[in-house]
This record gives sequence, structure tokens and C-alpha cells, in this order.
Amino acid sequence: MAYIEIENLSFAYDNKTTALQDVSLSVEQGEWVSILGHNGSGKSTLSKLLVGLLRPKSGSIRVDGFELSEDTLADIRRRIGIVFQNPDNQFVGVTVRDDIAFGLENLCIPREEMIERIEEYSKKVDMFDYLNKEPQQLSGGQKQRVAIAGVLAMRTDVILFDEATSMLDPEGRSRLLQDMKRLNEEGGTIITITHDMRDAVHSDRIVLLKNGGVLADDSARNILGDKELLEQASLELLLPLELMHTLQAEGLGDDTLREYLWQLSLNG
Amino acid sequence: MNNVVIGRYLPGNGVLHRMDPRTKLLGLVFLLASVFLIDRFFHMLLALGLIIVLLLVSRISPKRVYLGMRPILFLLLFTFIFQIAFNEEGDLLWSLPLNWSLSSLAAVVAIVFLWGFTRRYVRFSLLYFLLGAAAVLTALANLDYGYTLTTGTLEVYEDGLQSAFFIMFRLIVIVAISTMVTMSTKPTDLNLGLEYILKPFKILRVNTEEIAMIIAISLRYIPTLLDEANKIMLAQASRGVDFKEGRLKEKVTQIVSLLVPMFIISFQRSDDLANAMEARSFVPGAPRTKLHVLIWRRLDYVALVVIFALFLASLGARLV
Ligand SMILES: Nc1ncnc2c1ncn2[C@@H]1O[C@H](COP(=O)(O)OP(=O)(O)OP(=O)(O)O)[C@@H](O)[C@H]1O
Ligand SMILES: [Mg+2]
Repeated sequence: MAYIEIENLSFAYDNKTTALQDVSLSVEQGEWVSILGHNGSGKSTLSKLLVGLLRPKSGSIRVDGFELSEDTLADIRRRIGIVFQNPDNQFVGVTVRDDIAFGLENLCIPREEMIERIEEYSKKVDMFDYLNKEPQQLSGGQKQRVAIAGVLAMRTDVILFDEATSMLDPEGRSRLLQDMKRLNEEGGTIITITHDMRDAVHSDRIVLLKNGGVLADDSARNILGDKELLEQASLELLLPLELMHTLQAEGLGDDTLREYLWQLSLNG
Repeated sequence: MNNVVIGRYLPGNGVLHRMDPRTKLLGLVFLLASVFLIDRFFHMLLALGLIIVLLLVSRISPKRVYLGMRPILFLLLFTFIFQIAFNEEGDLLWSLPLNWSLSSLAAVVAIVFLWGFTRRYVRFSLLYFLLGAAAVLTALANLDYGYTLTTGTLEVYEDGLQSAFFIMFRLIVIVAISTMVTMSTKPTDLNLGLEYILKPFKILRVNTEEIAMIIAISLRYIPTLLDEANKIMLAQASRGVDFKEGRLKEKVTQIVSLLVPMFIISFQRSDDLANAMEARSFVPGAPRTKLHVLIWRRLDYVALVVIFALFLASLGARLV
């Protein structure tokens, strides 16, 4: 059984529209999965359901064998950490140190261990020198890294990034993507939620959402290379891939060129 | 916007900075009580001396403390003048005949105008005010040309003078102690200390930890919200809203144009924040460990003993 199993999940904020419709997907341990979809396709709704911030209308969610319910909520939140979109609205502590400590305090970690973990994980995201700084003194990218340290320090099995790069400048964004890559290489399970394809190219697998339903679930290469599918999902192709399709339609190019363009899109 | 905050924390390494926030809060309560218990001039003078010593020892800039006092300068002057003018007990120390004549009234009006126009160019506003007051009194005492409406005398009595200084010193001591505490303690530490000190109220089913959490989050978001207000003001200004000028009706429109976006953004923020907190396993009212713990040190014991002794002494002096 996979680490996260979502079966036939449906949700509606009100009676008229359904935000999620019969969504099923699974995530294995150590995998990097992107959930890709246009604005309003239900991505954030899915992430909120996953940690019990919203209650599903129907369907089930299993994490590490625990079926999500009132009783298992605490267990599931210990296993999944979220980094949200807005760097300012998730910074709870008055300083970086306090913010990383917040989750640990909630888990009732003893003080000595808390101090060790704060040091360890702030170093990991290169924020050790900033421990006494206040959020106003940090850039958006730095705040997001603090949020990552806060989640890492709680030692969750999965980190979910809900459009965590969308409010950052290009430099902050590529730095955050590097961090994700490294965490995944070290064995962490990563879920990125995004409408930006550049954030999804590095993942092992992409789940494509459209209007609250799963449109496709395949390897990143298969999905990003499928022009019709992406158009159907109201998403634009990455430029190198667009080029690849144009060349293919004209009967130009060979496998080496195709491979080269794919690598180019990975670096974009 | 930061300079609005009076008595804002300033980093330092003096005695007060090193003291536990609980000590400072308890000390503040007991010292304020002592200041209200004291009723002799000499004792108040002692208290003022002690505060000055503490100010020097704690290495807090006296200028900052004075700045903290500026908002109550008017109150200080008013009570001072009131006491001198209307308290007529004790020996007569000094009297000054005042002529309310046409010439002296004209001179007073001229002096007040001159003072009002020039005071913004003078650095020592308090001294300049005293100079102006002295000029007014001189004019009233000496100019008796023209039609004299009435005459009177300004009489300064011993008790009036004494109680004027007594009340002024009391206000100065109160404000100085409070300012020194807030200037030497981080707001977060103050909050932490408050949480500990309010613990006994748990018996009354007051959830002190939740109150402390609410204060902590407010402290965290005040700068962010001020920043936001600034941004909105700039955005509205670029659309032609002028926040500096305008009559009352326009002022109301301006404030509404600031408040409405502020409210909407704040609600969005608090919603996000609540989600982020919950996702990080926060459960209101559930037990938590703490990163910051407060430890009583020797300095704190010494300080508390001294403060308590001072309190008992002033209680004794009052009762004797
Ligand atoms: N609090 C809410 N109340 C009512 N409807 C909502 C609420 N939040 C989202 N919706 C609706 O639910 C649908 C899915 O929203 P969701 O936020 O999950 O989309 P998303 O894929 O995260 O979009 P985005 O890329 O803009 O973040 C949208 O149609 C949205 O309008
Ligand atoms: Mg979203």
C-alpha cells in the first residue's frame, strides 16, 4: 500500500459548485509528485483536505495506514508538513528562532532537543545566521526557507509545497527549487502543488487537475510532452517543449535534439 | 512608523536588561505602589534620587527616558501651575503684584504670539516655554499704563510650592520606572513574564496561555500590518487620495479608503495564519513545551529583596 492513498475524494465549499470531484491518487514514500492545474482547479482544496483543515464530503484519505478522521488528525499532521504560498501569513514567531520552535512546542518536544533541532535545520536551509532576525528583516525567499526549516524540524515524512514559489523573485524561486531537489534526494517525500510548469519538471510524477477532477496521472516527461493534454488542462507548454513539438510537426529534429530540448526545459 | 512607539525596547547589557521580566514586572507593581504610599516631600526626593541612580546604573539613555516623558509634559506643567496658584497654605514665600491693564494684556498677547511662531525653531522647547512664561509674568507685573481692569497678586506659598514639586516628582518617577521597564525588556519577554505572573488567575478559569499567545501573535503582526497600511496609503495616494489635506468629509472618505482594504487583507491573513498554525499541529488549549524558559538568577533575588524592602519602608513611613 502506498504511503498516501486518496480514494474518490469529493468536496464542495457550497451547494452549487464542487471544488473536488471524485479524486483518487497515491503517493509512495520517497517520491516527488507534482499536482499541476490551472487557477481554481482545486489544488489548494486538496492540500487542505489532506491535513484535515477541511472535511471531505465523501471519499477517504489514508496516510501511513491511518484513515483521516477526528481521532487520527494529530497523527496525520505529524506526518505531513505544509509550506504555504504567502511567506508572511505563515510566519508565526516573532523571530526566526521562535518560528522554527513553534511546531516543536506544539509537539511537546523537550527544550534541549528543540534547541538542537533548531540549530540543525536552520543550518540545513542556510538560515542559522538569521535566527534572531524578525520577519520584516527577511526576504520572501528567506521566509519560505524558515517555513521549510520549521516543517523539517518537526520531522514529518512528507513536505507539501502549496504554490510556495509563486510569490518569490526568480532567485528565491530557483533557490527553493534546489532545496526541494536536495530534500528529495535525501529520501524525503515531496508534493508540490503548482500551476507553474517550471516547478513541476523536476518531479517524478505529475497529477494533472482540471476543474476539480484528475485529468491525467503519469511521469513528468510523458505529461509535459503531451501537447493536447496540457492544452486540455488550460496550461501552456514550456518554451523548449513548444519548440520540440513545432519541430516534430515539421518533421525536423531527431532524438538527440529532443533530449537536448528536454534537458533545457529542466534547467529553465 | 517605528518612532511612534514610546518606550520601545532598545538592546543593551545593563542591570535592567539582564533582569528576569518577572522581576521587572513585580518590581514595577511594588514600586508604583510605594510611590503612591509615600506622602512626605523628603521621601519623594529620595525616590527620585533612587530612580536617577537606577537610570545611571542600568545604562539606559536618559534622553530616551525623557522622550518617553514628553507626552505628559503638559500634564506636569498644568498640575505644577495649578498647585502653585491655588494652594494657599503654609508661609507666604513670594508675591508678585499683577496689573491686568490694557498695556500689559497687549504685551501678553504679543509675547504669546511671538512664542507660538518661533517655538518650532527653538530646540529646547521646555526652556523656551519657561522663558515665555517668565516674560508674561514680567509684563503683567510691570506694565500698568492704560486703563487698568483689575489688579491681583500672584502669591506663592510654601505648601503650594512643595506639593507642586511633590506631584511633579511623583509623575516623573512613575513614568520613568515604567519607561525603563519597557525599554529594557523585549515585548516578547514582557509577554512571557506576564504569562508567568498571571498564572495564579488560572484558578478563575482565565486561560493565561491563550492570552499570551494572542499577545504574541499581535506583536508579530503589528509591524506587518503597519507596513501594509503604508502600502495601501501609497496605492491610494497614487490614485489621487490626498491623506494630508481635506476637510472632515474628505478625511472620512480617506480613512474609509484605508480601512476597508485593511480589514479585508487582515481577515485573509488571519485565515491563512490559522491554517498554517493548525497544520503545524497547534491545538488551542493543548499542552505545549516552551523554547523560552525564565530562570530566577541571583540578581533577581537581590532586586526583589531590595524592592520589597523599599515597599515595606514606604508602607511603614505611611502608617507611622
Ligand atoms: N473559502 C472558499 N469558499 C468558497 N469557495 C472557495 C473557497 N476557496 C476556494 N473556493 C473555490 O473552490 C475552487 C477551487 O479552489 P482552490 O483554491 O482549491 O483552487 P487552486 O487550484 O488552489 O487555485 P489557485 O491556483 O488560484 O491557488 C475554486 O473555484 C474556488 O473559487
Ligand atoms: Mg491555491
